[in-house]
Amino acid sequence: MNIPQFNFDLIRNSNLWTIIESDDNLQANLFSFLIHFALFIFMIFSIQWQTKIPNFAEVELWDAVPTQIKNKQLQTKPLKNKKIKKIKVTPPKIDKQQLKLNEEAEIKLKKKKNKALERKKKLKEIKKLQAKLLKQEEIEKLQDKVLEQEKLDKIKEKLLEQERIEKLQDSLRDEELKKKPTIAIEADKEVLAGVSSGELDRFKALIQQKIQQNVNNQLCGLDRVELEFEISLMPTGDLLGEPKMTQSSKIASCDAAVERAILQSQPLPLPKDKKLFKRLKDLKLKFHPNGHYDL
Amino acid sequence: MIHRIYSLFFGILLLFATPIYALEVIEILGGKASEIPIAIVPFEGLENIGGQKAHQIISSDLNRTGLFRPLNTRGISNSPSSDININYTKWSSMDAQFIVVGKVESENPISGNIKITWSLIDIFKEKTVVSMRYIGKKSQYRAIAHKVSDNVYEHLTGSKGVFHTKIAYVKKVNNKKYSLNVADFDGFNSRPILNTTQPIISPRWSPDGEKIAYVSFEKKKPVIYIQNLRTGKRTLLANFKGNNSAPAWSPDSRKLAIVLTYNQNSQIYTINADGSGIKQLMRSNAINTEPSWAPNGEDIYFSSNRGGSPQIYKVNINDDEISRVTYEGKYNLSPSISYDGKLLIFLTNDQGKFKVAIQNLISNQVLKISEGPADESPIFAPNGHLVLFTYKDYGKTTKIGTVSINGLKRLPINVGSSIIQEPTWGPITN
Repeated sequence: MNIPQFNFDLIRNSNLWTIIESDDNLQANLFSFLIHFALFIFMIFSIQWQTKIPNFAEVELWDAVPTQIKNKQLQTKPLKNKKIKKIKVTPPKIDKQQLKLNEEAEIKLKKKKNKALERKKKLKEIKKLQAKLLKQEEIEKLQDKVLEQEKLDKIKEKLLEQERIEKLQDSLRDEELKKKPTIAIEADKEVLAGVSSGELDRFKALIQQKIQQNVNNQLCGLDRVELEFEISLMPTGDLLGEPKMTQSSKIASCDAAVERAILQSQPLPLPKDKKLFKRLKDLKLKFHPNGHYDL
Repeated sequence: MIHRIYSLFFGILLLFATPIYALEVIEILGGKASEIPIAIVPFEGLENIGGQKAHQIISSDLNRTGLFRPLNTRGISNSPSSDININYTKWSSMDAQFIVVGKVESENPISGNIKITWSLIDIFKEKTVVSMRYIGKKSQYRAIAHKVSDNVYEHLTGSKGVFHTKIAYVKKVNNKKYSLNVADFDGFNSRPILNTTQPIISPRWSPDGEKIAYVSFEKKKPVIYIQNLRTGKRTLLANFKGNNSAPAWSPDSRKLAIVLTYNQNSQIYTINADGSGIKQLMRSNAINTEPSWAPNGEDIYFSSNRGGSPQIYKVNINDDEISRVTYEGKYNLSPSISYDGKLLIFLTNDQGKFKVAIQNLISNQVLKISEGPADESPIFAPNGHLVLFTYKDYGKTTKIGTVSINGLKRLPINVGSSIIQEPTWGPITN
């Protein structure tokens, strides 16, 4: 395949450069000056895109809100008196009782302030205690969580170990199966499908035993009768829907007895392995309540 | 182009395809469950009539069959009396597959009639199987309860119940007085139909329920009578030379098979119910006795020593063709055939003990269903699910009792402290 490539020689040898060099230099300089001038003018008298000019406001920033205005006012009074002295105006008589009252008021204010401070301190302490308690609770919760997590981790570890063991067992089985070339083709298929035929048969036998325990064949007369049911199972072993009878014994009490046996057998034993479960989740159950007399 | 589209389409299908397996098949042979767990809930209202309670009568009836396991319902709160608002979870947790609920009310205060309304409920399927109502006199209370049992039995087993049937038996008092009695199947409402000072043996109820044939020693030798149950009138059926014994009704109640020692030893004859048309069935030097007419009307099962020891055989009444039926055990006698001809019961000598055995005539499997040691006179219930027989109570007094054909339930029939023997079972009547 041909990859396209730029031919730089063509660009270098083009007539573009030669055309520019052939023009008059004065004209070009004038043109460029005009353009630059126009841009300069445009920069100065450019368009104001903002429609509203923001209003400015001056703000005085205080560290704290002034709370002692009254005291300040009280402090200004003697200054005024001093000024009066300079003008030689007879000083007004200071009411002692008023002073006393003022002092008392100041003491009261101080006490109030102290009380307020104490309250604040107490509140702070209470808050600190509460915070401590909350922290303790949180710590306890955290500890619980940690313990739970540890438990979960242990369970997970156990499960993982089980899985490992199961996997090992499966792999061993697979190896054994691989070692035996004479095993039937069906078994090979099972291995390829990731399902152990031995396990499949084991669970089929367990299901068979559990249902057989509940079949009351006395309700099926004495003749050789056969029934067939199809069932779907959930991973829990419980039935998904009702058993579907595909072949009747033609004895109503027998059909009902077998259906009851299936229902009564819930939950049926099922494997944890998903692949194996898939093979057993839909089953056909063939019943011979009175056995095979011809065997 | 089309080929490309097809190949693309199948390619996509293959991508999404999962392996498809045929349904796994599980074969289940036989069954190990024997009884249906059922809760008979105490009936609401006037259930206690003269000390009798409907739920106890029904429970007792079903228990006797060996097919049901009545659950204990004592102390259960909020027991339902109808099929409304059933707590299925509660009953399911008690292992009940079915429950029977009902109520007893006064139907008419003037006539004194009672009304029993009841329902059979399927706990698994959470639905009502049947609901019915009976009206009757207080004196019919037990009979109504038996009817409920019959209905429950029929709905769940497919066979008719025998709880409304009658039995007959011989009562012997001080070796001097004998009476032929008729009672309900469970021994209640007993009444004598014949009192005599001579022994009575082998009573047999006619399939039409009208008559009972029996052997009496009134004529200083065994002779056969037929007694009409409605009129009480009796006729002498067979008083031939020698012994006249072991009557067995044909399925149509028109004929009987009897045993006569007319020539030498016991031989089987057939005779019309009016005493006419006597005919020897087969001729042999061996003893042929205890006939039991098969429901097909053509075969008669009997016991014979023609093979050396007593065994059960059958003979075709049309061509006298004989075939041996029992092979298990060295000493088998007293055959009785079930209403459908599929089961045979007989007495077998099991190491010196006489026990009731049952043989499946299809599979020829044999099962001993009683304990012995001196059981006698086994006879089938009209539905073939129970066997009535005599046994020695504590090895001394002869009593009658029933055993279920699965051998699970052996229960006495209480009809007094006297010697009770030679039972027979009446047919199912409407």
